[in-house]
Amino acid sequence: MIAIQFVRKLLEWVPVAVFALMFIFLGIEAPTLFTPFTIDLMLKQAVPTVVVSLGLAVVIITGGDDVVSGGIDLSIPAAAIIAAAIIADQVTNHGTALPIALAFALLAAITVGALNAFLVVMIRMTPLLATLASSVAVVGITKMITQSKRINVTDPFIVFLRDGTVIGLSAGVVAAGLLTLIYWFLMHQTRWGMQAQATGGGREAADISGISTKRYQAISFLLAAFTGFLASMFVLARGSGSSPGTEENLLLEMVLATFLGAAFSPRRKVTVWGAALGAVLVAMLSVGFKSIGVNVFWTGCIKGALILIVVASAAATTRGRY
Amino acid sequence: MRLSILTSTITLAAAFVATSLMADGHLSLAGKRIGVAVVGTQHFWDREAFNGATSTVEKLGGEVVPVDGGRDNQVHADNHDVLLANKVDAVISILGDGAVEPKFEALKNAGIPVFTVDHPSPHGVNNTTSDNYYMGTTIGRYMADAIGGEGKVAVFNAFEGALRICGIRAGLWKYVLQDYPNIEIVQPELAEEFANAPEDARKKTLDLLSQYPEGTLDAIHVGCWDQPAIGVVQALEEAGRSDILVTALDGGPDTLEIMAEDGSPFVANVAQQPNLIGSTSAMNVARHFAGEKLLPQTYVDVYPVNGQAEAKAAYKSLGYGTLD
Repeated sequence: MIAIQFVRKLLEWVPVAVFALMFIFLGIEAPTLFTPFTIDLMLKQAVPTVVVSLGLAVVIITGGDDVVSGGIDLSIPAAAIIAAAIIADQVTNHGTALPIALAFALLAAITVGALNAFLVVMIRMTPLLATLASSVAVVGITKMITQSKRINVTDPFIVFLRDGTVIGLSAGVVAAGLLTLIYWFLMHQTRWGMQAQATGGGREAADISGISTKRYQAISFLLAAFTGFLASMFVLARGSGSSPGTEENLLLEMVLATFLGAAFSPRRKVTVWGAALGAVLVAMLSVGFKSIGVNVFWTGCIKGALILIVVASAAATTRGRY
Repeated sequence: MRLSILTSTITLAAAFVATSLMADGHLSLAGKRIGVAVVGTQHFWDREAFNGATSTVEKLGGEVVPVDGGRDNQVHADNHDVLLANKVDAVISILGDGAVEPKFEALKNAGIPVFTVDHPSPHGVNNTTSDNYYMGTTIGRYMADAIGGEGKVAVFNAFEGALRICGIRAGLWKYVLQDYPNIEIVQPELAEEFANAPEDARKKTLDLLSQYPEGTLDAIHVGCWDQPAIGVVQALEEAGRSDILVTALDGGPDTLEIMAEDGSPFVANVAQQPNLIGSTSAMNVARHFAGEKLLPQTYVDVYPVNGQAEAKAAYKSLGYGTLD
């Protein structure tokens, strides 16, 4: 018994150890990696992933961290790219004013969230399958909107998110930092957040204590879709427009970042700040591997393997808890 | 006769390149670190342009800092940040869409000259590319001839508005067709995916074929490259349709092989020399460092390929091997 507990404890530290070793290795191999310039660059590249990871964190916190039966939302990147496509199409192709384009985009993203909430809470579909299905559908609609073509965006606000600075820091990084703070406050400091956590911790117990778990879960999908909407602006800023296919990388990085964040949190739970930190670490890895000339396909392979290590370690260490 | 002309032109071109290489014997990139950013290495064209650039940088004594976008334009654009952080001496950037422009500007502002391949940019020193004007008009003439100057044509044209080279190629193809009032371009135009193009084009062609039964469509053209054409030909074979001809651009070995098959629907193409393009761009970097003034654009010759026999000849002349 003690031996099992010991092994479990050891497994908990595997992701942290793997990452620590990787960063030590990258730091030695690529001396420019930890200069202020590169760190700023990595933070900038992390922004869209940070924002969508906040959304995923909310869904997992509220729905529970069991990958199959708990909360998960794979459609946030899709919500982000449909919103980005709508903004780009409206602003560039139709000359719509940005605020109106943003309103359309918000409506589309919230519709995705509402659809997920309906499928999961009312129809009782597994979140994994429901959000995968809505993601595929939303990407399809996005392709119809853009006709699979790239749309450039030169709107001053979007350009500001890309190039602007606020108190000496990149505007996008500051905005993502603020959003992290807001989502952290909501989920970890308010009564609403506590009850959402209670819902995720054990739905039956929460039900008994009078929490309307269905409502919490539904709202978590809406909050996630809202991060998709917010991320769309950063996706546009990062790419100076909407390019087809952006969702794939974003999805991979979001899942990795959020579960990685859990591996780094003291109780091995998905948290808002953990997800944001995870996203930054993932960006650091991407830039780090490129800096030492690792082939792009190996980078994809390494990221996939890391997801496995992190999720498997989480599964192995939580199994005995329930 | 045509074959021997093609062969001798290529030999002449090779001889010209060889002499200019000799004349450029003083060029060197010794002690320079040159970033080479390529949008992907899955496709022959991208890979060859990348190989041409990297091997020439190394031949000239430079060190290559390679970054590969994995056929994702966003990743490709972000990769330029890595080169900026690595403080390379110059950057060769192969392909890419509008997302790279601010990255080029940042590199330029940091004093790092940018040399582009197939991507004219106000922030670049020089763009090395094929003669896209000739490609566009030639494929327009060949296609019009192949369908007898009349009929319905569907076009895969996702990048006309996004990439300048595609704007030139597809735009001039359309310009030629203006003189063929009996050729109608099917609307809406089709849009192929940037990654995974053959499979995507195969599906879209099958959909198209169900809308246009036997005898109602005469050709399918791919406006800017030829990877989708692989899927188009596959779809035509699957559907058992022999009434539709296929034309495209780039002329990599994979599509020249398809053209060389007996009874192939793929009848016209214009072959580029991606390795020479990459290599020329690297030479241009060295010329720039040697203090030479470069023209904004350097054009590399292309080879029109009309029909099976010319496909076989071009395959051999371009050094891809022999087809019988």
